[in-house]
Amino acid sequence: MCGRCEREQIEMKRLLTVIVVAAALITLPFWAGDQYQLHIAALIGAYWVLIAGLNLVVGFSGQLSVGHVGLLAIGAYAFAIIAGTHGIDPWLALAASGGIGALCGFLLGLPSLRLPGFYFAMATLAFALIVTELVLAFEGLTGGGVGLSVPSFPAPFDTSEGNYWLILGMAALVTWLTWNVARLMWGRGLIAVRDSVVTAQAVGVPVLHAKLAAFVFSGLTAGLGGALFAVIQSYITPDTFLFELGMFFFVCIIIGGRGSIIGPFLGTVVLTALPELSAPLAKLGNFFYGLLLLLVVLLLPEGIGRLFQIVLERLRPRRVESVPIAPQPERLAAAIKVGQR
Amino acid sequence: MLSALIAGLATGALYAAAALVYNVMFSTSKVLSVTTGHTAMLGGVFGAWFMQAFGLPVPVALLGSIGVGALFGLLTDFVAIRRVLSRSDEHLWLLSTLALATMVQQAIALWWGTEPKPFPRVIAQDFGAGLLDQKYWLPVIVAIALAVGLELFYRRTLYGKLFVAMSEDIFAARARGIPTDRIRMLSYVMAGAMGGLAGFAAGQLTFAYFALGLTLTLNGFIALAVGGLGSNLGALVGGAALGILSSIATYYVGGEFQQTISVGLLMVVLLLKPEGLFGTRNVRPV
Repeated sequence: MCGRCEREQIEMKRLLTVIVVAAALITLPFWAGDQYQLHIAALIGAYWVLIAGLNLVVGFSGQLSVGHVGLLAIGAYAFAIIAGTHGIDPWLALAASGGIGALCGFLLGLPSLRLPGFYFAMATLAFALIVTELVLAFEGLTGGGVGLSVPSFPAPFDTSEGNYWLILGMAALVTWLTWNVARLMWGRGLIAVRDSVVTAQAVGVPVLHAKLAAFVFSGLTAGLGGALFAVIQSYITPDTFLFELGMFFFVCIIIGGRGSIIGPFLGTVVLTALPELSAPLAKLGNFFYGLLLLLVVLLLPEGIGRLFQIVLERLRPRRVESVPIAPQPERLAAAIKVGQR
Repeated sequence: MLSALIAGLATGALYAAAALVYNVMFSTSKVLSVTTGHTAMLGGVFGAWFMQAFGLPVPVALLGSIGVGALFGLLTDFVAIRRVLSRSDEHLWLLSTLALATMVQQAIALWWGTEPKPFPRVIAQDFGAGLLDQKYWLPVIVAIALAVGLELFYRRTLYGKLFVAMSEDIFAARARGIPTDRIRMLSYVMAGAMGGLAGFAAGQLTFAYFALGLTLTLNGFIALAVGGLGSNLGALVGGAALGILSSIATYYVGGEFQQTISVGLLMVVLLLKPEGLFGTRNVRPV
């Protein structure tokens, strides 16, 4: 069999998998057991909108932001205030919360991305705390500790199925965008920044520019994710956006594996669904996330995805074609002749 | 106004102690551990538990707190530092210490409860002492004593000189025959004991509260970055400045903007003098 047909076959298989998964996700409202499972699926989707963007920052460019919950809160409150308090069209409000998220990402990233690793992590942690503090301080705007109720999208997206499909569409769009960034030059540049800043600079990657672009994009998705999250919750208070939620996003990416998209996605699904399925895990909460993070960091720094790869290679070893290297004196002589001419 | 100043100074002393804990761990391993604040939290919680549940006398409870802190320091080195430092990947220590800190905080929340619980009196004193109350001066005395003790330790003892040697150049230290792994372990135990002591001393100010750890990790770091990484004098000055500034701001503006103001201080210092007030300038890595 020729190499090209084999590659085509693999691509066909991949396309088929994507179609099957997409069909399963689209028809989920019909085969899901009850409304609660649908709610969890929608929640995973809203989280994923944020995590997909955050993945470019944490997984690709290696900037350990633990405070994206602050940007999520900003998006959620922006949506609730614009669409709820002022009664402006929810679609405009969705766009606006994305824009505000991007703007806040820019304002946060511009000073803090210049800082080295630990300083940056602390700056984002402080940012998350500041957002909670300001939400409580500007009571007139945000309702303070009492919170705000959030309007839903207009028909046909006002039912839980419609809302799910909307979130699914957004998640697919964001995934496609991040995939485009990740596999092309930008993604390579970001990985270079993660692995060695000095090398990246030396080969001409605009380090701060690249990091900032990824961070602003993650702010945009965090704003969008926040708006979707607020609609799912239908009522938001500062207690919805605890720092632990930011930790959770971060852990999803690290556990899934840095530098891939499917890994963090699986991480998000598993880590959101697991505590819902088993009560003891929900009680342990952060202890469980911390333990998982510790185990992954100590045993599998490349993420759980690496484990699957290892198992797969054990089960179906990659065929390595052996190409014999034999001296070919006649070709050498011809080449020398050409060179002499 | 005076009461705000004094309360700020006391909180600032706790931040300074956290910054000193950072310094000790940083000197031997170049790691800024997220567990820093949690050592002090453990000191406070276990101190209160020893005294209330078992009715232990204060000195025994104090020793117990220091012991718990030291054990936690040892655990940090064992679990989160040792394996990670042997890898070349940078910043993995940030993840591992963050994971450990999260686990400890959640474990204490489950066991001790999420409400702040009162810390018993350490020294017999009337509650009407006002601004001369022990909860204000105990942390200050402990922070100053820790800083002075550390300076003496670095200058006068052989082990202190080993710490300094390792903070200068870890490979050169190993080439000179210093057992760097063991010294690092010692530094973590020491840092944990210091944190436990500080948490015990500040217990009446902060209460025995599980969420103290993360706040202290952040504010201690701000104090450290303002004062200058690696400098003990800087840690004291940075902590005092941060505590007083945020409590005066609370006095005038109200408590809503406390965190915002302390981070504002950090940003201003990092913009004007990135190495901090008493720090040494970093050399570029090329």
